[in-house]
Amino acid sequence: MTDGPLIVQSDKTLLLEIDHPLSTECRRAIAPFAELERSPEHIHTYRLTSLGLWNARAAGHDAEQVIDTLLKYSRYAVPHSILVDIAETMSRYGRLRLEADPIHGLVLITTDTAVLEEVIRAKKIAPLLGPRIDPETIAVHPSQRGQIKQSLLRLGWPAEDFAGYVDGQHHEIALVEDGWKIRPYQELAAEGFWHGGSGVVVLPCGAGKTIVGAAAMAHAKATTLILVTNTIAARQWREELLHRTTLKEDEIGEYSGAKKEIRPVTIATYQVMTKKKNGAYAHLDLFDTHDWGLIIYDEVHLLPAPIFRFTADIQSRRRLGLTATLVREDGLEGEVFSLIGPKRYDVPWKEIEAQGYIAPAECIEVRVTLTENERLAYATAEPENRYRHCATTMTKRKVVEELAKHHADDQVLVIGQYIDQLDELSEILKVPIIKGDTPIKERERLFNLFRRGEIKCLVVSKVANFSIDLPDATVAIQVSGAFGSRQEEAQRLGRILRPKADGRTARFYSVVSRDTIDQDFAQNRQRFLAEQGYSYRIIDADDVFQGKI
Amino acid sequence: METRSFTDYLRGLDDAALLSLFALRPDLISPVPPELSSLGIRANSAPSLARAVDSLNEWQFQVLEACAALSEPMSEKEIISVTDTSAKFVIPHLMNLALAYKSKDGIRLPNSLREVLGNEPAGLGPVSMAKPSMKKLDEAPESSKKVLERLTWGPPRGSVGDIRNPGPGIAWLLKENFLVPLDQRTVALPREIAIHLRGGKVQKNPQPNPPVVTGEKIDQKIVDRAAIANITTVLQWCEEILNFWSEEPPNALRAGGLGVRDLKAAAEHLGVDENCAAFISELVYLGGLVVIDADDRILPTHAFDLWLTLSPQVRWRTLTSAWLVTSRVSGLVGRADSKHVAALGPELDRVNAATTRKLTLEILGLNPYFSPEIDSFLALIKWRAPARRNPGLQSELVRWTLREAEWLGITGQRALSKYGAAFVQVREDLNIGADLPKPVDHILIQSDNTAIAPGPLEIEVARNLDSIADIESRGGATVYRFSETSIRRGLDHGKTGEEIKEFLRRTSKTPMPQPLEYLITDVSKRHGRLRVGNTSAYIRCEDPTLITQILSDKKVDDLPLRRIAPEVLVCELEANEVITVLRAAGYMPAAESGSGVLLTARRLNRAKSRPHPPRIVGEIEVPTDETLAAALRALRAGERSSHKQSSLREIAANALGSLPRTTANETMDILNKFIKEQRTLSIGYADNNGSATHRIIDPLSISAGSLIARDHGTGEVQTFRIPRITGVAPL
Repeated sequence: MTDGPLIVQSDKTLLLEIDHPLSTECRRAIAPFAELERSPEHIHTYRLTSLGLWNARAAGHDAEQVIDTLLKYSRYAVPHSILVDIAETMSRYGRLRLEADPIHGLVLITTDTAVLEEVIRAKKIAPLLGPRIDPETIAVHPSQRGQIKQSLLRLGWPAEDFAGYVDGQHHEIALVEDGWKIRPYQELAAEGFWHGGSGVVVLPCGAGKTIVGAAAMAHAKATTLILVTNTIAARQWREELLHRTTLKEDEIGEYSGAKKEIRPVTIATYQVMTKKKNGAYAHLDLFDTHDWGLIIYDEVHLLPAPIFRFTADIQSRRRLGLTATLVREDGLEGEVFSLIGPKRYDVPWKEIEAQGYIAPAECIEVRVTLTENERLAYATAEPENRYRHCATTMTKRKVVEELAKHHADDQVLVIGQYIDQLDELSEILKVPIIKGDTPIKERERLFNLFRRGEIKCLVVSKVANFSIDLPDATVAIQVSGAFGSRQEEAQRLGRILRPKADGRTARFYSVVSRDTIDQDFAQNRQRFLAEQGYSYRIIDADDVFQGKI
Repeated sequence: METRSFTDYLRGLDDAALLSLFALRPDLISPVPPELSSLGIRANSAPSLARAVDSLNEWQFQVLEACAALSEPMSEKEIISVTDTSAKFVIPHLMNLALAYKSKDGIRLPNSLREVLGNEPAGLGPVSMAKPSMKKLDEAPESSKKVLERLTWGPPRGSVGDIRNPGPGIAWLLKENFLVPLDQRTVALPREIAIHLRGGKVQKNPQPNPPVVTGEKIDQKIVDRAAIANITTVLQWCEEILNFWSEEPPNALRAGGLGVRDLKAAAEHLGVDENCAAFISELVYLGGLVVIDADDRILPTHAFDLWLTLSPQVRWRTLTSAWLVTSRVSGLVGRADSKHVAALGPELDRVNAATTRKLTLEILGLNPYFSPEIDSFLALIKWRAPARRNPGLQSELVRWTLREAEWLGITGQRALSKYGAAFVQVREDLNIGADLPKPVDHILIQSDNTAIAPGPLEIEVARNLDSIADIESRGGATVYRFSETSIRRGLDHGKTGEEIKEFLRRTSKTPMPQPLEYLITDVSKRHGRLRVGNTSAYIRCEDPTLITQILSDKKVDDLPLRRIAPEVLVCELEANEVITVLRAAGYMPAAESGSGVLLTARRLNRAKSRPHPPRIVGEIEVPTDETLAAALRALRAGERSSHKQSSLREIAANALGSLPRTTANETMDILNKFIKEQRTLSIGYADNNGSATHRIIDPLSISAGSLIARDHGTGEVQTFRIPRITGVAPL
């Protein structure tokens, strides 16, 4: 028994005690192979997963290092089964390699013929293979490069991809650092990606992932396809690139529902890529018709499943994934690993916050007691309408009004799910609203006004959940939300986590009806936010009215 | 007669030799035979000999086989010449075991031994009747040599198409008596020829030395640390599985045992694979901590509650000791070829399980901190205990034992740990308690509604916490999660919201996060409401006077009570507050649910049956020195009395001629008189079949129609039924 900061649990979670003097050192040591799962105030939870261990292998760590680290920092004895499992899992990575062969094209090479024998017998693998060249080598059809990596990962024998990349069409891109500087971690992330070839960079919301993308493009100096979640995000990328790089207006094209431009740098939305015409994906050609040197996937954790299918076919192009979290609610983490690539860089947001690049945030849940009538309406509502009933009560509106009044000098966003409620709020607060049917021009105009501080408060619907950039919002008030989904929470919080000029603490209010399912959803939200390490408080609506916030 | 001579040999043994024989072959004295001739018969019986043969190692067996290949009587020299010089160290051991014995003319084997070893020991054929000349063998034609080659190392028999019309090679051999015909189609190679062809030896590969176990030395610290982790884990597993079954007792299969689905559920609950879950189930079963109850439910016993109160060291030792001696093999559960074999079921006993387990541990014990390579380990086991009857199972038993020893923490990183070593040597102090992580008495509560115990919790704290939080992760630390459900469970178990908060404040090293406080308040508020009606509490009592008393009691003045029925009071306060006030005022209120069910402390399901761990099959315990000495005494006494008996019978028969006959009255008179005078007398006594015999007895007392007397024949105090006494006569 030592006095280390780490406790290794039998379910492969690692508990790290934050107040321990060695905790920072230990965190650095385990970060390459363990996924941070929760980071509340005292003890952070990491998890050992196969993908995490393979990520570590891809980054050049071996099982011995991992085991040494665990033994070194562990407070109690480490369960034997876990050590065995780590060695076993890590040894699986790299036994199979994909390489380019001058004669046979793409080949699968093994250091362990037994493994090769095992995988070539698998039903899913056999059709992808060509002739056997020698006991250690077998040809693979080049078009199956992605498919085979996917299938091998599912078999538990991830292949390392050394087959290299095409350079793509050359295009001069460089960063223009006037009035701003690339942050050290952004530079490290871009370099980590470039050396790894392809892969994913994990940075928290608000840490400037766009800049990492731009830096990666400057490395590649080639034509680039950028896939983003929606049109607004596409415009934002365009703005950023114009501002941060040598790219000119006519070098950047938008490929969306509205426009179909193909330029040296083309920004396409997931939506248009996955649009079907007569049962076939109509815009699939975009991947092939142009000789892209780099493909950037924004918000990898939201990447729709069909995109993976296209991605499988373009394995010879460099791919960069950008995301705030590797956790996907659909469980497709394995696809990200095999098709886009291993994790190349990540940095916990606490560290970035400590460096002052992200604003600290405080989460406050405001509990509203419903009036008798409202409670009755809620109690007698049909189950499917219940949430709507408790989420849109009159009492809530008053509290929102009061909160807005309290933060009259701040940049406030009011976020909600139900349009009626938002319309009402916009009317009462006398502020503009942005919702699904607001024309893009109008949205941009309002966002610009808000950015310049000419508008202090904005009511926004779900559209705000995706990649918009509102640098100066310091307060967010959430009035209703879809069932406390983790992703949504992360996005909403991301909205207000941009660094504030004066280093003020950002505030994230959620207004919740007491004793209703609203409160149950709030519980999920609380768990998620606390797990992310945000401070979380609950106050009563009365406190708001009495100014005790 | 050979049997006679074997018995004579036994008769000739001194006490020390008999004691060592009993120690080596404990089945001979279970039960203690009445006299040496019975001992002789038993020692010469095939089952007992087979046991003794099973106890030999490979080399000892080879020597014994060689003996069996020779004709009796034989000399040590002969044995050595067909084996190896080191055989001379083995022969005394074979004699100690009475697998061979010295008669006047040389070394002989008990005659049933050949049955046990088979007709063709070491693949050797029958003894030739003729005396063929070995020199002639060199002249054998090529085809004959080929035949000989095939038969030399056994099996010694070969079939020919027709004995009257054999091939030229065989014909020559038959003619020269190098082959003997067995029947119409079979010929055999005579024993002497084979031994000659084998170069004068019996075995192809004599193995006088044990194979060497290879493996790697592991750092002592690492081994012990890994072992202590395993020990902690296994104890936790046992506790977990029993608590799990306490809450949801699985139903036993009709054939007995734990169903596959329940095993899976247990495995999932523990987060282990099914092999391990089967092992844990069996382990707690062996320890008597769980039982299949009369209603076929599998339930923890009261022994479990006792077990929980013991120190970790004792808890571990209890289970590990039971595991060591059991004949049950949990590794058999859920194998592809035996799907119906269930944990806790009736089909897990295997005869050699305990022996193999002990041997495995013994060999591990030879090399502490040494992780053996499995194949070399198996080779040594095979040499030490050649399993002739079920070799496949043996290697599996060894593998399972090694696996289980790791789970138990006898080994760590597959090498024997200091705890394992102490356990194997049956040392009192295993030092487990001192090396286990110190129990902690505090938790760290975090705002994501988890609490972390950064070490094993003190049992009281753990129990309290168990009732109000769900365990999310186990290991060195425990992660608890608070949720509405878990808090409600705590309230269901009779805690109040305030009590929970107070407990957490007291136990947590970190301040209680505000959201958790809200959660507890919210839940307990709702919980209370559910318990007593819509908004307020009620107090009800079968006895209206008590209700009146409460109403007029000054001590509960601050309770805003309202009587809504003679037996019911309503109160604006919450039930828990009411209870607190009532308790403070000296009443003994009990909380109840809407249906009137009392809410008391958490309900623990325990079996009604007493613990009855499974019995051990097929093993005879190694007797202690006392047992051995007692057995010897009894045997010697038996021997003496059987002499005495026959002589006394003779005397009685001679002196008395016929059986004494007296009337019932006379009998009683004489008996009473002789009891007083403490004199020996002779009686006629009818046995169950009605045949009367003479008995010489010292009468002691008469009670309830029976005479209690010492029988000179058996030397024991016996009860004689008076109506069966045909008559009495003084000697």
